[in-house]
Amino acid sequence: MIAVVAATGFPSAEWFASLSAHATSDPERLRTLGVADFRLAVEIVDTDGKVRTFGVIFDGYDITSAGEFSDPEVFGSEATLTGPIEAWQAMVANITEHGAADGLHTLNALSIADTPLKVVADDPMGRDKFFRYAETLQTLFDASGLVALART
Amino acid sequence: MVHQLRIGSRLIEEDVVTIATVDLGYIERAREGKFDLGWLRDSHAEWGIRARPSRVGLTLRDIAVGSYGEVPDHPPKRTMAPRGCDVDPDVPDMGYSINDKAEVWSDNVMELYEEAVSRQWSATRDIEWTELPELDADLEHAMCQLATVLSEVEMVAADFPAKWLWRINHDFVEAKMFLCTQVMDEARHTEVFRKRALAGGGGLGKAKAVVEQFLKVILDAQSYDEGSALMHLLAEGLVLSLFRAGELLSPSPVEKKIFRLCMQDEARHVAYGTMHLRYRLEREPALAPDFHAYLDRGEEIIAALFATPEVVEPTAILAAGSLKAAEEMGVGVSDILRTRMIEEYLARCDRAGLPRRGRMRLPEIILAGTSGGAEACVEGVAS
Repeated sequence: MIAVVAATGFPSAEWFASLSAHATSDPERLRTLGVADFRLAVEIVDTDGKVRTFGVIFDGYDITSAGEFSDPEVFGSEATLTGPIEAWQAMVANITEHGAADGLHTLNALSIADTPLKVVADDPMGRDKFFRYAETLQTLFDASGLVALART
Repeated sequence: MVHQLRIGSRLIEEDVVTIATVDLGYIERAREGKFDLGWLRDSHAEWGIRARPSRVGLTLRDIAVGSYGEVPDHPPKRTMAPRGCDVDPDVPDMGYSINDKAEVWSDNVMELYEEAVSRQWSATRDIEWTELPELDADLEHAMCQLATVLSEVEMVAADFPAKWLWRINHDFVEAKMFLCTQVMDEARHTEVFRKRALAGGGGLGKAKAVVEQFLKVILDAQSYDEGSALMHLLAEGLVLSLFRAGELLSPSPVEKKIFRLCMQDEARHVAYGTMHLRYRLEREPALAPDFHAYLDRGEEIIAALFATPEVVEPTAILAAGSLKAAEEMGVGVSDILRTRMIEEYLARCDRAGLPRRGRMRLPEIILAGTSGGAEACVEGVAS
Protein backbone atom coordinates (compact mmCIF):
# COMPACT_ATOMS: atom_id res chain seq x y z
CA MET A 1 0.00 0.00 0.00
CA ILE A 2 2.86 2.39 0.74
CA ALA A 3 4.12 1.77 -2.78
CA VAL A 4 0.71 2.89 -4.00
CA VAL A 5 1.07 6.03 -1.93
CA ALA A 6 4.50 6.71 -3.40
CA ALA A 7 3.00 6.32 -6.85
CA THR A 8 0.59 9.17 -6.11
CA GLY A 9 3.48 11.58 -5.78
CA PHE A 10 3.46 11.87 -2.00
CA PRO A 11 5.05 14.01 -0.75
CA SER A 12 5.10 16.87 -3.22
CA ALA A 13 3.60 20.31 -3.68
CA GLU A 14 1.35 18.81 -6.34
CA TRP A 15 0.10 16.18 -3.92
CA PHE A 16 -0.83 18.80 -1.32
CA ALA A 17 -2.48 20.96 -3.98
CA SER A 18 -4.52 17.95 -5.05
CA LEU A 19 -5.35 17.17 -1.41
CA SER A 20 -6.68 20.70 -0.85
CA ALA A 21 -8.65 20.58 -4.09
CA HIS A 22 -10.33 17.30 -3.14
CA ALA A 23 -11.04 18.44 0.42
CA THR A 24 -12.70 21.63 -0.82
CA SER A 25 -14.65 19.97 -3.61
CA ASP A 26 -17.68 19.84 -1.32
CA PRO A 27 -18.00 23.44 -0.03
CA GLU A 28 -21.14 22.60 1.93
CA ARG A 29 -19.19 20.06 3.97
CA LEU A 30 -16.63 22.72 4.94
CA ARG A 31 -19.36 25.22 5.77
CA THR A 32 -20.89 22.65 8.09
CA LEU A 33 -17.55 22.18 9.84
CA GLY A 34 -17.29 25.94 10.29
CA VAL A 35 -14.70 28.64 9.84
CA ALA A 36 -11.02 28.05 10.51
CA ASP A 37 -8.09 30.44 10.56
CA PHE A 38 -4.83 28.56 10.64
CA ARG A 39 -1.49 28.27 8.89
CA LEU A 40 -0.20 24.72 9.30
CA ALA A 41 3.23 23.52 8.25
CA VAL A 42 3.57 19.82 7.42
CA GLU A 43 7.13 18.64 7.93
CA ILE A 44 8.21 15.31 6.46
CA VAL A 45 11.57 13.91 7.50
CA ASP A 46 13.01 11.53 4.91
CA THR A 47 15.00 8.42 5.75
CA ASP A 48 18.24 10.30 5.02
CA GLY A 49 17.26 13.04 7.44
CA LYS A 50 16.35 15.53 4.73
CA VAL A 51 13.38 17.65 5.71
CA ARG A 52 10.67 18.78 3.32
CA THR A 53 8.03 21.26 4.50
CA PHE A 54 4.67 22.04 2.94
CA GLY A 55 2.19 24.72 3.93
CA VAL A 56 -1.58 24.53 4.22
CA ILE A 57 -3.73 27.60 4.81
CA PHE A 58 -7.17 27.38 6.39
CA ASP A 59 -9.01 30.62 5.71
CA GLY A 60 -12.68 30.82 6.59
CA TYR A 61 -14.33 27.95 4.73
CA ASP A 62 -11.43 27.53 2.34
CA ILE A 63 -8.33 25.37 2.39
CA THR A 64 -5.42 26.09 0.07
CA SER A 65 -2.01 24.57 -0.39
CA ALA A 66 0.85 27.01 0.03
CA GLY A 67 3.29 24.67 -1.70
CA GLU A 68 6.71 23.60 -0.50
CA PHE A 69 8.98 26.05 1.24
CA SER A 70 12.34 26.06 2.89
CA ASP A 71 11.83 28.79 5.48
CA PRO A 72 8.91 28.24 7.91
CA GLU A 73 9.19 31.85 9.08
CA VAL A 74 8.40 33.16 5.63
CA PHE A 75 5.26 31.01 5.55
CA GLY A 76 4.34 32.20 9.03
CA SER A 77 3.16 28.82 10.27
CA GLU A 78 1.34 28.82 13.59
CA ALA A 79 2.05 25.14 14.20
CA THR A 80 4.07 22.42 12.53
CA LEU A 81 3.06 18.78 12.31
CA THR A 82 6.31 16.89 11.92
CA GLY A 83 7.35 13.25 11.63
CA PRO A 84 9.27 10.65 9.64
CA ILE A 85 8.15 9.84 6.13
CA GLU A 86 7.31 6.26 7.11
CA ALA A 87 4.66 7.52 9.53
CA TRP A 88 3.19 9.87 6.94
CA GLN A 89 3.13 7.18 4.30
CA ALA A 90 1.51 4.73 6.69
CA MET A 91 -1.17 7.31 7.50
CA VAL A 92 -1.92 8.05 3.85
CA ALA A 93 -1.94 4.32 3.06
CA ASN A 94 -4.37 3.67 5.90
CA ILE A 95 -6.70 6.41 4.69
CA THR A 96 -6.47 5.14 1.13
CA GLU A 97 -7.36 1.66 2.28
CA HIS A 98 -10.26 2.60 4.55
CA GLY A 99 -11.57 5.77 2.93
CA ALA A 100 -10.82 7.67 6.14
CA ALA A 101 -8.28 7.28 8.93
CA ASP A 102 -8.97 4.39 11.26
CA GLY A 103 -8.70 4.89 15.01
CA LEU A 104 -4.94 4.54 15.19
CA HIS A 105 -4.23 6.82 12.23
CA THR A 106 -6.12 10.03 12.97
CA LEU A 107 -3.94 13.11 13.29
CA ASN A 108 -4.67 13.26 17.00
CA ALA A 109 -3.89 9.59 17.57
CA LEU A 110 -0.59 9.87 15.72
CA SER A 111 0.53 12.98 17.57
CA ILE A 112 -0.82 12.66 21.11
CA ALA A 113 2.32 10.99 22.46
CA ASP A 114 4.61 13.16 20.28
CA THR A 115 5.43 10.06 18.28
CA PRO A 116 5.41 9.19 15.45
CA LEU A 117 4.06 12.67 14.64
CA LYS A 118 4.50 15.74 16.78
CA VAL A 119 2.78 19.12 16.93
CA VAL A 120 5.37 21.86 17.38
CA ALA A 121 4.61 25.54 17.95
CA ASP A 122 6.41 28.48 19.50
CA ASP A 123 3.07 29.75 20.75
CA PRO A 124 0.74 27.37 22.62
CA MET A 125 -2.16 29.25 21.02
CA GLY A 126 -0.90 28.01 17.65
CA ARG A 127 -0.60 24.50 19.04
CA ASP A 128 -4.13 24.68 20.42
CA LYS A 129 -5.45 25.59 16.95
CA PHE A 130 -4.50 22.06 15.98
CA PHE A 131 -7.22 20.96 18.41
CA ARG A 132 -9.66 23.81 17.71
CA TYR A 133 -9.85 22.71 14.08
CA ALA A 134 -9.38 18.98 14.63
CA GLU A 135 -12.36 17.92 12.54
CA THR A 136 -11.45 20.22 9.65
CA LEU A 137 -7.85 19.00 9.68
CA GLN A 138 -8.97 15.38 9.70
CA THR A 139 -11.37 16.07 6.84
CA LEU A 140 -8.46 17.51 4.85
CA PHE A 141 -6.19 14.53 5.37
CA ASP A 142 -9.02 12.03 4.89
CA ALA A 143 -9.10 13.33 1.32
CA SER A 144 -5.76 11.53 0.84
CA GLY A 145 -7.66 8.53 -0.42
CA LEU A 146 -9.26 10.63 -3.15
CA VAL A 147 -5.82 11.85 -4.24
CA ALA A 148 -4.67 8.24 -4.50
CA LEU A 149 -7.77 7.25 -6.49
CA ALA A 150 -7.24 10.11 -8.90
CA ARG A 151 -3.56 9.40 -9.44
CA THR A 152 -3.41 5.61 -9.71
CA MET B 1 -43.05 58.02 40.55
CA VAL B 2 -42.20 55.96 43.60
CA HIS B 3 -43.62 52.48 43.28
CA GLN B 4 -43.98 50.07 46.18
CA LEU B 5 -43.36 46.42 45.48
CA ARG B 6 -43.62 43.54 47.91
CA ILE B 7 -41.25 40.63 47.31
CA GLY B 8 -41.71 37.94 49.95
CA SER B 9 -41.56 39.75 53.27
CA ARG B 10 -39.60 42.71 51.86
CA LEU B 11 -41.18 45.97 50.81
CA ILE B 12 -39.16 47.56 48.04
CA GLU B 13 -39.54 51.16 46.95
CA GLU B 14 -38.07 52.21 43.66
CA ASP B 15 -38.51 54.67 40.82
CA VAL B 16 -40.28 52.93 38.00
CA VAL B 17 -41.91 54.01 34.79
CA THR B 18 -45.66 53.50 34.97
CA ILE B 19 -48.47 54.54 32.68
CA ALA B 20 -48.98 57.57 34.96
CA THR B 21 -45.56 58.94 34.02
CA VAL B 22 -45.96 58.40 30.30
CA ASP B 23 -46.86 61.32 28.02
CA LEU B 24 -50.25 60.02 26.85
CA GLY B 25 -50.73 63.16 24.81
CA TYR B 26 -48.06 61.88 22.49
CA ILE B 27 -50.44 59.18 21.26
CA GLU B 28 -52.88 61.86 20.10
CA ARG B 29 -50.16 63.98 18.49
CA ALA B 30 -48.72 60.95 16.68
CA ARG B 31 -52.18 60.11 15.34
CA GLU B 32 -52.24 63.58 13.82
CA GLY B 33 -48.83 63.04 12.25
CA LYS B 34 -47.07 65.37 14.69
CA PHE B 35 -44.06 63.22 15.25
CA ASP B 36 -41.51 63.96 17.94
CA LEU B 37 -38.41 62.85 15.95
CA GLY B 38 -36.19 63.65 18.90
CA TRP B 39 -34.57 60.23 18.42
CA LEU B 40 -33.53 61.35 14.95
CA ARG B 41 -32.77 65.00 15.59
CA ASP B 42 -30.57 64.57 18.61
CA SER B 43 -28.68 61.52 17.42
CA HIS B 44 -24.94 61.21 17.68
CA ALA B 45 -24.91 58.10 15.50
CA GLU B 46 -22.06 57.88 13.05
CA TRP B 47 -24.07 58.31 9.87
CA GLY B 48 -22.13 56.93 6.93
CA ILE B 49 -19.93 54.54 8.90
CA ARG B 50 -20.68 51.37 6.99
CA ALA B 51 -19.53 47.94 8.09
CA ARG B 52 -18.40 45.74 5.20
CA PRO B 53 -18.65 41.96 5.29
CA SER B 54 -15.48 39.91 4.94
CA ARG B 55 -15.14 36.56 3.16
CA VAL B 56 -17.15 34.53 5.65
CA GLY B 57 -19.90 37.10 6.19
CA LEU B 58 -20.38 40.13 8.41
CA THR B 59 -18.30 39.37 11.50
CA LEU B 60 -17.99 41.12 14.85
CA ARG B 61 -14.56 42.30 13.74
CA ASP B 62 -16.14 43.76 10.58
CA ILE B 63 -18.61 45.83 12.59
CA ALA B 64 -15.97 47.09 15.02
CA VAL B 65 -15.82 50.32 13.02
CA GLY B 66 -15.67 53.94 14.09
CA SER B 67 -16.65 54.61 17.66
CA TYR B 68 -18.68 51.37 17.68
CA GLY B 69 -15.45 49.42 17.78
CA GLU B 70 -14.09 51.30 20.77
CA VAL B 71 -14.54 49.22 23.91
CA PRO B 72 -14.06 51.50 26.92
CA ASP B 73 -11.72 50.34 29.67
CA HIS B 74 -14.14 51.75 32.24
CA PRO B 75 -17.68 52.28 30.87
CA PRO B 76 -19.33 55.43 32.19
CA LYS B 77 -22.70 53.73 32.72
CA ARG B 78 -24.05 50.40 33.84
CA THR B 79 -26.80 49.88 31.30
CA MET B 80 -27.95 47.35 28.74
CA ALA B 81 -27.91 50.00 26.03
CA PRO B 82 -25.99 48.83 22.96
CA ARG B 83 -22.48 50.28 23.05
CA GLY B 84 -22.26 53.34 20.81
CA CYS B 85 -25.94 54.29 20.85
CA ASP B 86 -27.47 57.44 22.36
CA VAL B 87 -28.53 56.70 25.90
CA ASP B 88 -31.16 58.46 28.00
CA PRO B 89 -29.51 60.21 30.92
CA ASP B 90 -31.91 58.66 33.40
CA VAL B 91 -31.52 55.00 32.47
CA PRO B 92 -31.62 52.72 35.49
CA ASP B 93 -28.41 51.31 36.91
CA MET B 94 -28.25 47.59 36.15
CA GLY B 95 -25.92 46.93 39.04
CA TYR B 96 -23.12 45.33 37.08
CA SER B 97 -20.14 44.49 39.26
CA ILE B 98 -17.64 43.78 36.47
CA ASN B 99 -16.99 47.19 35.00
CA ASP B 100 -13.32 47.04 34.03
CA LYS B 101 -12.65 45.74 30.55
CA ALA B 102 -9.57 43.84 31.68
CA GLU B 103 -11.68 41.71 34.00
CA VAL B 104 -13.27 39.82 31.09
CA TRP B 105 -11.65 40.86 27.83
CA SER B 106 -9.25 39.02 25.58
CA ASP B 107 -7.86 40.16 22.24
CA ASN B 108 -9.19 37.05 20.48
CA VAL B 109 -12.72 37.15 21.88
CA MET B 110 -14.45 38.41 18.72
CA GLU B 111 -12.84 35.75 16.54
CA LEU B 112 -13.60 33.05 19.10
CA TYR B 113 -17.26 34.06 19.17
CA GLU B 114 -17.53 33.83 15.39
CA GLU B 115 -15.72 30.52 15.42
CA ALA B 116 -18.00 29.17 18.12
CA VAL B 117 -21.15 30.11 16.26
CA SER B 118 -19.80 28.73 13.02
CA ARG B 119 -18.59 25.43 14.49
CA GLN B 120 -21.67 24.44 16.47
CA TRP B 121 -22.77 20.83 16.15
CA SER B 122 -25.62 18.68 17.37
CA ALA B 123 -25.27 15.72 19.72
CA THR B 124 -28.54 14.41 18.31
CA ARG B 125 -27.90 14.83 14.60
CA ASP B 126 -24.15 14.76 14.04
CA ILE B 127 -23.22 11.62 15.96
CA GLU B 128 -23.94 8.33 14.21
CA TRP B 129 -25.64 6.72 17.21
CA THR B 130 -27.05 3.84 15.16
CA GLU B 131 -23.49 2.78 14.32
CA LEU B 132 -22.45 2.42 17.96
CA PRO B 133 -21.08 -1.13 18.20
CA GLU B 134 -21.84 -3.61 20.96
CA LEU B 135 -18.78 -3.55 23.18
CA ASP B 136 -17.18 -6.05 25.48
CA ALA B 137 -18.57 -5.47 28.99
CA ASP B 138 -15.23 -4.19 30.35
CA LEU B 139 -14.97 -1.58 27.64
CA GLU B 140 -18.61 -0.55 27.96
CA HIS B 141 -18.21 -0.11 31.72
CA ALA B 142 -15.05 1.94 31.21
CA MET B 143 -16.59 4.12 28.51
CA CYS B 144 -19.70 4.69 30.62
CA GLN B 145 -17.65 5.68 33.67
CA LEU B 146 -15.59 8.10 31.61
CA ALA B 147 -18.80 9.49 30.09
CA THR B 148 -20.26 9.87 33.59
CA VAL B 149 -17.30 11.92 34.82
CA LEU B 150 -17.31 14.09 31.71
CA SER B 151 -21.06 14.65 31.80
CA GLU B 152 -20.60 15.70 35.42
CA VAL B 153 -17.69 18.10 35.01
CA GLU B 154 -18.73 19.76 31.77
CA MET B 155 -21.81 21.46 33.16
CA VAL B 156 -19.82 23.55 35.63
CA ALA B 157 -18.25 25.24 32.65
CA ALA B 158 -21.77 26.37 31.75
CA ASP B 159 -22.82 27.20 35.31
CA PHE B 160 -19.77 29.35 36.02
CA PRO B 161 -20.07 31.77 33.08
CA ALA B 162 -23.85 31.82 33.53
CA LYS B 163 -23.37 32.84 37.17
CA TRP B 164 -21.22 35.80 36.15
CA LEU B 165 -22.76 36.85 32.84
CA TRP B 166 -25.42 39.15 34.27
CA ARG B 167 -22.79 40.95 36.36
CA ILE B 168 -20.68 41.92 33.33
CA ASN B 169 -21.09 45.42 31.96
CA HIS B 170 -22.93 45.39 28.67
CA ASP B 171 -20.23 47.47 26.99
CA PHE B 172 -18.19 44.25 26.97
CA VAL B 173 -20.93 42.58 24.96
CA GLU B 174 -18.57 40.60 22.74
CA ALA B 175 -17.10 38.87 25.80
CA LYS B 176 -20.61 38.20 27.12
CA MET B 177 -21.63 36.74 23.78
CA PHE B 178 -18.61 34.46 23.75
CA LEU B 179 -19.44 33.22 27.23
CA CYS B 180 -22.98 32.50 25.99
CA THR B 181 -21.49 30.23 23.33
CA GLN B 182 -19.51 28.48 26.02
CA VAL B 183 -22.70 27.83 27.99
CA MET B 184 -24.21 26.21 24.89
CA ASP B 185 -21.04 24.22 24.17
CA GLU B 186 -20.93 22.79 27.66
CA ALA B 187 -24.61 21.95 27.63
CA ARG B 188 -23.93 19.94 24.49
CA HIS B 189 -20.95 18.18 26.10
CA THR B 190 -23.07 17.24 29.10
CA GLU B 191 -25.72 16.02 26.69
CA VAL B 192 -23.43 13.99 24.42
CA PHE B 193 -21.69 12.13 27.25
CA ARG B 194 -24.97 11.43 29.00
CA LYS B 195 -26.31 10.08 25.73
CA ARG B 196 -23.21 7.95 25.23
CA ALA B 197 -23.56 6.40 28.69
CA LEU B 198 -27.15 5.46 27.95
CA ALA B 199 -26.86 4.55 24.26
CA GLY B 200 -24.66 1.49 24.79
CA GLY B 201 -26.74 -0.06 27.54
CA GLY B 202 -24.13 0.42 30.28
CA GLY B 203 -25.75 3.41 31.92
CA LEU B 204 -24.26 5.99 34.21
CA GLY B 205 -21.38 5.17 36.54
CA LYS B 206 -20.18 6.73 39.77
CA ALA B 207 -19.77 10.40 40.75
CA LYS B 208 -17.00 11.02 43.28
CA ALA B 209 -16.78 13.61 46.02
CA VAL B 210 -13.31 14.72 44.94
CA VAL B 211 -14.64 15.69 41.53
CA GLU B 212 -17.55 17.56 43.07
CA GLN B 213 -15.16 19.38 45.41
CA PHE B 214 -13.28 20.83 42.48
CA LEU B 215 -16.49 21.84 40.73
CA LYS B 216 -17.59 23.59 43.91
CA VAL B 217 -14.34 25.55 44.09
CA ILE B 218 -15.01 26.87 40.59
CA LEU B 219 -18.65 27.62 41.22
CA ASP B 220 -17.95 29.29 44.57
CA ALA B 221 -15.11 31.45 43.24
CA GLN B 222 -15.21 34.85 44.89
CA SER B 223 -14.33 36.68 41.68
CA TYR B 224 -14.43 36.15 37.95
CA ASP B 225 -10.62 36.31 38.04
CA GLU B 226 -10.44 33.34 40.37
CA GLY B 227 -13.09 31.27 38.64
CA SER B 228 -11.81 31.93 35.14
CA ALA B 229 -8.24 30.97 36.05
CA LEU B 230 -9.47 27.77 37.69
CA MET B 231 -11.91 26.87 34.96
CA HIS B 232 -10.72 28.26 31.61
CA LEU B 233 -7.03 27.76 32.17
CA LEU B 234 -6.64 24.87 34.60
CA ALA B 235 -9.71 22.64 34.40
CA GLU B 236 -10.60 23.05 30.75
CA GLY B 237 -6.95 22.70 29.76
CA LEU B 238 -6.84 19.36 31.51
CA VAL B 239 -10.16 18.27 30.06
CA LEU B 240 -8.88 19.24 26.61
CA SER B 241 -5.99 16.82 27.11
CA LEU B 242 -8.49 14.21 28.32
CA PHE B 243 -10.57 14.68 25.17
CA ARG B 244 -7.45 14.15 23.09
CA ALA B 245 -6.78 10.91 24.95
CA GLY B 246 -10.43 9.93 24.57
CA GLU B 247 -10.20 10.28 20.82
CA LEU B 248 -7.24 7.92 20.79
CA LEU B 249 -8.62 5.40 23.26
CA SER B 250 -12.21 5.24 22.07
CA PRO B 251 -13.26 1.80 20.90
CA SER B 252 -15.31 2.97 17.91
CA PRO B 253 -15.50 5.79 15.36
CA VAL B 254 -18.66 7.01 17.07
CA GLU B 255 -16.88 7.94 20.29
CA LYS B 256 -13.86 9.21 18.39
CA LYS B 257 -16.03 11.76 16.65
CA ILE B 258 -17.62 12.78 19.95
CA PHE B 259 -14.23 13.45 21.48
CA ARG B 260 -12.93 15.26 18.41
CA LEU B 261 -15.90 17.60 18.29
CA CYS B 262 -15.73 18.26 22.03
CA MET B 263 -12.00 18.85 21.72
CA GLN B 264 -12.63 21.68 19.28
CA ASP B 265 -15.05 23.43 21.61
CA GLU B 266 -12.85 22.99 24.65
CA ALA B 267 -9.79 24.39 22.86
CA ARG B 268 -11.76 27.58 22.14
CA HIS B 269 -12.56 28.03 25.80
CA VAL B 270 -8.93 27.45 26.75
CA ALA B 271 -7.83 29.94 24.07
CA TYR B 272 -10.12 32.54 25.63
CA GLY B 273 -8.94 31.77 29.17
CA THR B 274 -5.27 31.92 28.29
CA MET B 275 -5.48 35.17 26.36
CA HIS B 276 -7.88 36.71 28.86
CA LEU B 277 -5.44 36.11 31.69
CA ARG B 278 -2.67 37.58 29.57
CA TYR B 279 -4.78 40.67 28.87
CA ARG B 280 -5.58 40.99 32.57
CA LEU B 281 -1.99 40.65 33.78
CA GLU B 282 -0.58 42.99 31.15
CA ARG B 283 -2.76 45.72 32.62
CA GLU B 284 -2.55 44.72 36.26
CA PRO B 285 0.69 42.79 36.83
CA ALA B 286 0.30 43.26 40.58
CA LEU B 287 -2.47 40.66 40.46
CA ALA B 288 -0.04 37.85 39.60
CA PRO B 289 0.35 36.64 43.21
CA ASP B 290 -3.43 36.38 43.52
CA PHE B 291 -3.64 34.25 40.40
CA HIS B 292 -0.78 32.06 41.61
CA ALA B 293 -2.69 31.53 44.85
CA TYR B 294 -5.88 30.55 42.96
CA LEU B 295 -3.97 28.03 40.89
CA ASP B 296 -2.02 26.68 43.87
CA ARG B 297 -5.32 25.71 45.40
CA GLY B 298 -6.89 24.44 42.22
CA GLU B 299 -3.90 22.31 41.29
CA GLU B 300 -4.02 20.55 44.64
CA ILE B 301 -7.58 19.45 44.07
CA ILE B 302 -6.97 18.58 40.44
CA ALA B 303 -4.01 16.47 41.52
CA ALA B 304 -6.38 14.37 43.59
CA LEU B 305 -8.15 13.43 40.37
CA PHE B 306 -4.96 11.73 39.21
CA ALA B 307 -5.33 9.39 42.18
CA THR B 308 -9.04 8.76 41.69
CA PRO B 309 -9.83 5.28 40.35
CA GLU B 310 -13.05 6.41 38.68
CA VAL B 311 -11.00 8.78 36.53
CA VAL B 312 -7.75 6.84 36.04
CA GLU B 313 -8.96 3.27 35.53
CA PRO B 314 -11.45 3.75 32.67
CA THR B 315 -8.74 5.29 30.50
CA ALA B 316 -6.34 2.46 31.40
CA ILE B 317 -8.93 -0.18 30.47
CA LEU B 318 -9.85 1.56 27.22
CA ALA B 319 -6.16 1.84 26.34
CA ALA B 320 -5.43 -1.80 27.10
CA GLY B 321 -8.59 -3.16 25.48
CA SER B 322 -9.82 -5.09 28.52
CA LEU B 323 -9.64 -5.11 32.31
CA LYS B 324 -7.32 -8.12 32.33
CA ALA B 325 -4.91 -6.50 29.89
CA ALA B 326 -5.03 -3.25 31.87
CA GLU B 327 -4.18 -5.11 35.08
CA GLU B 328 -1.16 -6.58 33.36
CA MET B 329 -0.07 -3.30 31.78
CA GLY B 330 -0.76 -0.96 34.69
CA VAL B 331 -1.56 2.69 34.13
CA GLY B 332 1.30 3.63 31.84
CA VAL B 333 -1.09 5.43 29.51
CA SER B 334 -2.39 7.48 32.41
CA ASP B 335 1.17 8.47 33.30
CA ILE B 336 1.79 9.67 29.76
CA LEU B 337 -1.53 11.49 29.77
CA ARG B 338 -0.80 13.18 33.11
CA THR B 339 2.62 14.35 31.97
CA ARG B 340 1.12 15.72 28.77
CA MET B 341 -1.69 17.49 30.63
CA ILE B 342 0.71 19.21 33.01
CA GLU B 343 3.15 20.30 30.31
CA GLU B 344 0.40 21.72 28.08
CA TYR B 345 -1.02 23.55 31.09
CA LEU B 346 2.39 24.98 31.98
CA ALA B 347 2.91 26.17 28.40
CA ARG B 348 -0.42 28.01 28.53
CA CYS B 349 0.50 29.58 31.87
CA ASP B 350 3.71 30.83 30.26
CA ARG B 351 1.70 32.30 27.37
CA ALA B 352 -0.69 33.95 29.79
CA GLY B 353 2.26 35.65 31.49
CA LEU B 354 1.96 33.61 34.67
CA PRO B 355 4.87 31.16 34.58
CA ARG B 356 4.25 28.23 36.91
CA ARG B 357 7.19 26.04 36.02
CA GLY B 358 9.02 25.11 39.16
CA ARG B 359 6.33 26.36 41.50
CA MET B 360 3.71 23.61 41.44
CA ARG B 361 3.48 22.14 44.92
CA LEU B 362 2.27 18.66 44.12
CA PRO B 363 3.71 15.31 45.19
CA GLU B 364 6.68 14.08 43.19
CA ILE B 365 4.77 11.02 42.01
CA ILE B 366 2.42 13.37 40.16
CA LEU B 367 5.01 15.85 38.88
CA ALA B 368 7.58 13.26 37.82
CA GLY B 369 8.74 13.87 34.28
CA THR B 370 7.29 17.38 34.13
CA SER B 371 8.76 20.83 34.64
CA GLY B 372 6.13 21.70 37.22
CA GLY B 373 8.02 21.17 40.46
CA ALA B 374 10.95 23.13 41.82
CA GLU B 375 13.18 20.08 41.77
CA ALA B 376 12.44 19.43 38.11
CA CYS B 377 13.31 23.01 37.28
CA VAL B 378 16.67 22.71 38.97
CA GLU B 379 17.34 19.49 37.11
CA GLY B 380 16.32 21.14 33.86
CA VAL B 381 13.44 18.93 32.80
CA ALA B 382 12.53 19.98 29.28
CA SER B 383 9.21 21.60 28.64
